[in-house]
Amino acid sequence: MSKHRVSLNVNGQHYDVEAEANKTLLRLLRDDLEMTGTKCACERGDCGLCTVLLDGVPTKSCLVLAVEVDGREVTTVEGISGGELNAVQRAFIKHGAIQCGFCTPAFILVATALLKRNPKPTEEEVKDAIGGVLCRCTGYRQIIDAILDASKST
Amino acid sequence: MMVKFDYLRPKTEMELATLLSKHADEAKLMAGGTDLLVLMRDKILRPRYVIDVKGIPEMHKINYDEQNGLRIGAAVTLNEILKSDVVREKFTALWDAAGTLADPTIRNRATLAGNVCNASPASDTAPALLVLDAEVEVRGEWGERTIPIQEFFKGVKKTALGRGEFVTAISVSDPLSGAKSGYLKLGRTKGEDLSVVGVAALVTNSGNPSARVALSSVAPTPILVHEAQRAFEDAGSVDEKIEKAAAAVMGKICPISDIRCCKEYRLSMAGVLTRRLLKKLTGAS
Repeated sequence: MSKHRVSLNVNGQHYDVEAEANKTLLRLLRDDLEMTGTKCACERGDCGLCTVLLDGVPTKSCLVLAVEVDGREVTTVEGISGGELNAVQRAFIKHGAIQCGFCTPAFILVATALLKRNPKPTEEEVKDAIGGVLCRCTGYRQIIDAILDASKST
Repeated sequence: MMVKFDYLRPKTEMELATLLSKHADEAKLMAGGTDLLVLMRDKILRPRYVIDVKGIPEMHKINYDEQNGLRIGAAVTLNEILKSDVVREKFTALWDAAGTLADPTIRNRATLAGNVCNASPASDTAPALLVLDAEVEVRGEWGERTIPIQEFFKGVKKTALGRGEFVTAISVSDPLSGAKSGYLKLGRTKGEDLSVVGVAALVTNSGNPSARVALSSVAPTPILVHEAQRAFEDAGSVDEKIEKAAAAVMGKICPISDIRCCKEYRLSMAGVLTRRLLKKLTGAS
């Protein structure tokens, strides 16, 4: 199996790593860089819990090979706010949009990317944007309310 | 854990043609990878080489002009297609279909060409391409050729691509002015799921009204129902034409029962969706 040198930027920090061809970005983040905020659940692109921002775009990291991200920028939940909680994270706490918490990093990332692209989304646009992430606790109402609330404060 | 393979990333179509000609029997092409990586993780596919087409700049282009129509490179993602106003206005069936495939995060990676080459009976984009009479642009080490989309699907997960051939782009000519198209998908949930039934149609209202209807998830391949087009051209009011076309669809398709629903429900809903879509496109009540 081929091995590849991969230079990538994760949350503003540069990394040079060696990755075997079959290693996914998800495994690189969790196993090699020890950033476990990105969750591993179905590993087949259904649940969306492994979502990261790849050059700012929400992407399921279980469906990306590590070798493909050479020269690219990855943002995980660890780097989404740069220290203080961002407006989306504060709104999630305020609205009780976190139950078991396992899907929360993915929702924070897709919501933050949505508000950057579309600062004042409608409820329908919020529902569309979060369509790739599943919450097994089914607390979608609070998640949608939190994102709409965050859009008012930005 | 995923199967082991060598990853190759050619920078030109020529380089890809050479690689594929050399490794055709042991290689799989990767565009978005949203199907391929899952199949390799499940060990259903065990390619020795994975050849990524995203390193080829030409494959990322989406072009349109009135003379040549629309041309979508093999590495263009569904969300890139959804950003195109031309696709929304002139190739609406494709725009609708792209917007129902999987979910918005997957659509940042999944490609049109990948969905076509996967040749799933449940493909969302295939019925749209069938009513729009799209062409698949194919290349091999020997040269280039074009395959009409109607001849591209040969069976479940089987295409007309020969050994060492790959898709460079999907192209669609400008529909006649005044033509309207659309795609309706019935799924168990609003997102993430494959279709119970998918129906695309293209209606031309000027002169003698005509309609093309294609479906997914009702046969071993996505199918264009010629009988529906002929039934629609029969004399009668628009409502009668629509009823005849829907009956022709139900007479032609042969759905199966699976995890999503039983064949009787599929058959019935194929008629319902055909009727609903044709009413919407013709402006009938």
